[in-house]
Amino acid sequence: MKRAPAALALLALAASPAGAQTGTRGPGVARKRGPATAREAAPSLDALLAQAQAAAEGGRTEEAARLLRTAAERFSSVRALLQLGHLQAAQKDAKGALASLAQARALAPNSEDVLSTYAQLALAVRAPAPAIGALEPLTRMCPSVGRHHYLLGVALMQAGAIASSVDALRQARALEPDRPLTLVALGLALNNRKLYAEAREVLLRALELEPANVEGLAALAESEEGQGELAAAEEHARRALDQAEANPTANLVMGMLRMKQERHADARDALLRALAADPESPKALYLLSLVYARLGEETASETYRAAYQKQLRVVEERVERIRREGGLAGGGERQ
Amino acid sequence: MNRVRSLCLCVFFLTSPRSASHSQDASPGVDPSSAAKESLLDLEGALLPLRDPLATHAASPPFRDVTAQSGIVFAHHSAPEKKYIVESMSGGVALFDYDNDGRLDVYLVDALTVDTAKDPMAARSALFRNLGNMKFQDVTDKAGVGHPGWGMGVCVADIDADGCQDLYVTALGGNRLYRNNHDGTFSDATARSGLAGGGWSTGCGFADYDKDGDLDLFVSRYVKIDLDRLPEFGKGKTCEYRGIPVQCGPRGLPGEGDFLFRNDGDLRFTDVSVAAGVNDPRGYFGLGLAWLDFDADGWLDLFVANDSTANFLYVNQKNGTFKEQAFPLGVAVSEDGAEQGSMGVAVGDYDGSGRLSLFVTNFSEEYNAFYRNEGTHFTDVSFRSGTAASSLPYVGWGTALFDYDNDGRLDIIVVNGHVYPQLDRAKLGASAPYRQKRLFYRNLGGGKFAEVTDEFGAVLTEPRVSRGLAFGDLDDDGRLDLVINDLDGPPQVLHNELEPAGQWLMVKLTGKGHNTNAMGALVTVRAGGTTQLRDVRSGTSYISQDDMRAHFGLGKATQADSVEVRWPDGTTTRMENVKAGQVLTIAQR
Repeated sequence: MKRAPAALALLALAASPAGAQTGTRGPGVARKRGPATAREAAPSLDALLAQAQAAAEGGRTEEAARLLRTAAERFSSVRALLQLGHLQAAQKDAKGALASLAQARALAPNSEDVLSTYAQLALAVRAPAPAIGALEPLTRMCPSVGRHHYLLGVALMQAGAIASSVDALRQARALEPDRPLTLVALGLALNNRKLYAEAREVLLRALELEPANVEGLAALAESEEGQGELAAAEEHARRALDQAEANPTANLVMGMLRMKQERHADARDALLRALAADPESPKALYLLSLVYARLGEETASETYRAAYQKQLRVVEERVERIRREGGLAGGGERQ
Repeated sequence: MNRVRSLCLCVFFLTSPRSASHSQDASPGVDPSSAAKESLLDLEGALLPLRDPLATHAASPPFRDVTAQSGIVFAHHSAPEKKYIVESMSGGVALFDYDNDGRLDVYLVDALTVDTAKDPMAARSALFRNLGNMKFQDVTDKAGVGHPGWGMGVCVADIDADGCQDLYVTALGGNRLYRNNHDGTFSDATARSGLAGGGWSTGCGFADYDKDGDLDLFVSRYVKIDLDRLPEFGKGKTCEYRGIPVQCGPRGLPGEGDFLFRNDGDLRFTDVSVAAGVNDPRGYFGLGLAWLDFDADGWLDLFVANDSTANFLYVNQKNGTFKEQAFPLGVAVSEDGAEQGSMGVAVGDYDGSGRLSLFVTNFSEEYNAFYRNEGTHFTDVSFRSGTAASSLPYVGWGTALFDYDNDGRLDIIVVNGHVYPQLDRAKLGASAPYRQKRLFYRNLGGGKFAEVTDEFGAVLTEPRVSRGLAFGDLDDDGRLDLVINDLDGPPQVLHNELEPAGQWLMVKLTGKGHNTNAMGALVTVRAGGTTQLRDVRSGTSYISQDDMRAHFGLGKATQADSVEVRWPDGTTTRMENVKAGQVLTIAQR
């Protein structure tokens, strides 16, 4: 089962383009100069990049993109390609962004910055397979960098390879034990695998470090609900909802709690809120089909059941497509 | 162990018109004269003495593997590499009294392989007669039940109401009905009965779903397999597991529909699957099943565990048809809405609610699902109960809700084992290996269980590849024993030697009319301030057959305050102040 909303919330944080702002230290950086460099009058790489930045800051994105393409072409500049990729991503041109970054990767296949930026951008545009393709070599190249393992874990979670995701995030935690983002991601992945006891321990630590982390609170509520600690689950779900009333995980937990309390109308309302925040959630759809059945509303129950079954197939096909594209192994489920 | 033999009972020799042709078949194992005695025993029952604690073994842990000394010599067959799914799914085990000597006998199902498929003699299922004192004798050849083909599962019932148990074996390529001849032998009655089925059958169970008084049969089926066109090992997206090539399926392979056969009398059955609405036209991958009256309306409903697809719960509409309601009733999928690889089913009133809940074993990375019966629907209590988290690494098959320590609470056992032997060579890190330990959960009360497998020692912790499991009291000492059929290996007979165990009561029902097993009857025992419910069922666990007698642990209570039977026809029998430590036979008036 996919955990899209929580994973995406993390991705939004994960994809902060730290890597993009760094210099390009890889071996491919301006390593060779193309034919255009013979023209003495042509602007230098730095000048082109500066012009592009000014254009972007002035809202002239097309001009900025043109300048970056020119820089990339003339100087085989990895830096220009990285910036172009970011610009395209900001313009929601995911395909173009990934193409630019693939070019950069071809120029500097062993550059930590290139691989990291490529992966972050791939994650930001919800393309986990290419992200994993970059992060797997990156984690081998730099095994002591927790952030790379973290990103790999998030990418694997997004690809539906939850067992592998847990492994990567555990490694990330070992390297950066007090990074809330890593801890929350690990908690989410563990919840996904139903390893609630370990998830709870991890999430409690995350909340010690960052008490108001909404995703952490919601995930903790889910762990507690899974363990049957219903009062604690309700308290943490409530705290998450106080901060973000649309939080899908917290609403889902509230829905499950209300179902257990046989408060089916309240359960329905919470689950509808969860579904509104995450319309692709098969779990919310399934639980709604159940709660409507409890309420005696057969037609609504069947409608949500049909939607759930359709969405289940959509998710399965998406995960399968991602795995196929990325050449990933299955997650351990029965074929 | 002191043991008083139960009477040899063929109760309906004298009463059933259908049994007329068999009434002369007296044999050393069947004493027709005892039938008259039995009819007089009626509610007084066949009393056994209270168990003498000094006469039993003092042993810890509670179960001892007595296979080697039991005389049960058997080896299930399968191809070592399990390149095809059909080589991974067998086989069941049945505990039943075939010769009416009062002792549970053991039947173990064997399977062919792709290489031996054309030679039915290459597999030998086996019947072992219980000689007492946990000793068994192989009587397969005399009984004539050794070669049902590519065997899968087994279930038992007295389908011709002659007072002797008949045997039904599911198989790939046609099932087999062995009719009990009352003389220690069986006849193949498949053709006459119309119960061959065909295709790849797995689970089976007899029940009187239409309340016409006789026993009908449901058969689940799995995957369409053509042995001449088998899916190629490791080729294709549904033929790999975590990146390693494995057998294909079940996903990606076409599934098979299921069968419901209505008993028309005179040992003839009619396929009413479509008319009854249980034919499974989408071809879900059916395995274990259980008949149960979950809503206590007096009509048997049917749960079918489907592998990798949603389970079925067919609710009896009381007119010969069923309505599939697993989704709205909450037993189709996991609590997340994920379709699980469901294999085995256990049924029981684990919480003293007077309602029958469901426990379903599943594939690895999934949890074994515990669905609590709330009366009108089920709630997934798997994690709350404490049975789910520990099950995640294992591929679960046979299972039972049974009271091993006679404390009045149903405990749980699950036998495990993967389907891909290739896992061990692939070294998949945290993933569970091919051979796996069992899981045992002690019922703590209050809906909570503790996983206590390690307390039971090697008999449960030794890694094995198990499939069928059945429980029953093999030596009538009031402590439930276990028999496990492993894939591609020897079985295990686990003798319960727990000391001290609580008091107990076993109730053997004899129904009137054509349902001599009283299949579907409910027995409620009140003792020591608690109420316990058991039902009588054919076919359960993973394609296996448990002891059909209702077993009750009474804890410290030396008697049951009351024993109440609700017979399949709705009539009731009530007894009060029933002494503990006996096998109580109750015949329906």
